[in-house]
Amino acid sequence: MRRGTFVRWGVPVAAAAVIAAAVGAGPVIAAVGGPPALPERSAQQLLADALAAAEKSPPPMSGTVQQTASLGLPALPAAGAGSPVALLSGSHEVKVWYGANGKFRIAMPTQLNETNLIVNEGQAWYWDSAANTATKLHWQGGARRSPAPSAPAATHADLTPQAAAEKVLEQAGEHTAIRVINTAEVAGRPVYQLVLAPKDDGSLVQEVRLALDGETYVPLQVQVYAKGAAEPAFQVGFTQVTFTPPAEENFTFTPPAGAKVEERSLGADGEAGKETRPGDADRAARGLKVVGDGWTRVAVVKASAADLTGGTPSDGERQGERQGEWRGHGGDEADGRAVVADLLKKATPVSGPWGSGRLISTKLVTALLTDDGRLLVGAVTPEEITEAAGVR
Amino acid sequence: MSTAETEIRRAPEPATIVEAGPSAEGRPAAAPAPVARARWTFWRLLGSELGLTFRRPRNLVMLGVLAAVPVLLGVTLRLMTADDEGGVGGIIAAAAGNSLMLTFASLSFLVTLLMPVAVSVVAGDAVAGEAGAGTLRYLLAAPAGRTRLLAVKYLNAVVYGFAVTAVVALAALVTGLALFPVGPVTLLSGTTVPVAEGLLRILVSVGYVGAGMAALAAVALAFSTFTEVSIGAIAASVVLVVVSQVLRAVPQLDGLAGYLLPTWWNDFDGVLRSPVDTAALGEGLLVFGAYALLFGSVAWARFTGKDITS
Repeated sequence: MRRGTFVRWGVPVAAAAVIAAAVGAGPVIAAVGGPPALPERSAQQLLADALAAAEKSPPPMSGTVQQTASLGLPALPAAGAGSPVALLSGSHEVKVWYGANGKFRIAMPTQLNETNLIVNEGQAWYWDSAANTATKLHWQGGARRSPAPSAPAATHADLTPQAAAEKVLEQAGEHTAIRVINTAEVAGRPVYQLVLAPKDDGSLVQEVRLALDGETYVPLQVQVYAKGAAEPAFQVGFTQVTFTPPAEENFTFTPPAGAKVEERSLGADGEAGKETRPGDADRAARGLKVVGDGWTRVAVVKASAADLTGGTPSDGERQGERQGEWRGHGGDEADGRAVVADLLKKATPVSGPWGSGRLISTKLVTALLTDDGRLLVGAVTPEEITEAAGVR
Repeated sequence: MSTAETEIRRAPEPATIVEAGPSAEGRPAAAPAPVARARWTFWRLLGSELGLTFRRPRNLVMLGVLAAVPVLLGVTLRLMTADDEGGVGGIIAAAAGNSLMLTFASLSFLVTLLMPVAVSVVAGDAVAGEAGAGTLRYLLAAPAGRTRLLAVKYLNAVVYGFAVTAVVALAALVTGLALFPVGPVTLLSGTTVPVAEGLLRILVSVGYVGAGMAALAAVALAFSTFTEVSIGAIAASVVLVVVSQVLRAVPQLDGLAGYLLPTWWNDFDGVLRSPVDTAALGEGLLVFGAYALLFGSVAWARFTGKDITS
């Protein structure tokens, strides 16, 4: 081999190295990080500041939110890209624009398609380019919607933020170890990470990390880590964010010529899949029982395999709801049932002194469907859930 | 024959390659301004290369087929929508409603396989074809040097890639204008833009897809320098495209998709959003640049060090 040959081939090798460096630079820089970018804070101080910031309306912002779930579910049957069921695996991206006075726009771009939700001063439009349909939405009552998960304990508005923070921490401290990390970065911004780790060994959750922007205290990311996993099992957060007021035309929508225009009022039948919804207290109250406390809480519902896979719509929906609540998304009925039927086929039969049933375990959630018609769901180990099955 | 010899030996250009032949001022000017002369040779070489490419029946037939697909698509759509309303959705329905949308529909349809095949044929043939036909050493005898020759070959393939994209877009545009109503364009985001802006957006997407084809041309050219059988290089790059498309479709390999070239071709739909998704387009262009750089340098390393035996 001539020496020139080595020199020559050095060029593509160098090119490859440069490209690899460019691709890998982001995570590496974030990991190396260096000295903490933010001053240290105790959990209480941080929470107090966050609550104080939450009382004011969040600053105008725009960005890209990415949601990634690797729950370790068995391969799901192919669901439509826009279907909420599709959110249970893989990664998805939405774009968010948030202006002052509660105006916002959420866009979900997919291959040559886009769905949009635009809310502006009591007017809301849902646009689906695939169906060429614009839907004008009305809703009754004060169902408030916010693009980002709102800060906890908003009900403590009567307390000062400091007192509220203290109260929250006191209540949480019983089951949860709380610490604050001040070296993390989300979407290139330094953040405080509030780390909530369950104290109970029976929980499948290693820890939950809530990232709050270091400057504005807007929640930028939520990560749920399963036991023994280095990567989060569930993650939703900004990959890109700017705190400048977005252009006004993002919040105005006129149905394009030729599009179908529909009107729909929410509340009667929920527009599933777009928003985190508050726990449906009345529905859950029907036949819902909770066993255990803290992180090892297990929900018990009356349900049989027939109900779940194809029975009455209400039960199918309830199943979607139970699963959905955990991930912040409601279930889509038909898709939900198909998924449940598929999951049940792959479930492991188990039995014990409590009876027998079928067990579905994922990295984060375990579900047990007993043969005597109960469904138990919790973020707990299989042992824990069978124990809960013994509790009548 | 060693490389050094080939490069040093700057024989007068054989008249068989470039029909114009060495011109009158070329020969006497050789001593005082060799750089200028070499540069001029470069452009003349590119000109003759482009002439060969766009006169070759095979390449013209490929362009013709690519131009026919949007026409076929438009006519089918026209007949279909005359029959029944609804039934189809998304971009296809949008194409039936607006003349400009047929361009985007055709691009997204053809960019997955047919356009890459055409580009692979030209770029994969670039070096291997000459080597196979035994004409490569005569080309190297021109006072351009191997690096310049490779650059000429690459630029030629890039021009063909842009031509392929432009032909598809033009055929679709003409068909669309003939068959469907002209009017403000509804973007994917549901906002409407005037026709002029729609045309501008078509231009941007042609540039983007053309850049994607240029990146593929670099890959095919790199394959082309490794063989003397042009069909081998063409097949290799077509197989690469097909395998990439298959891998993209497997949901379990989600993490891999970002590294595959074809993933980025379809991102031209960023121009159809409001505001224009410049982040996605920019990222795509960076990927194309990275592919062109990597495979271009591989082709260069191989071609400048290769022993030319035929």
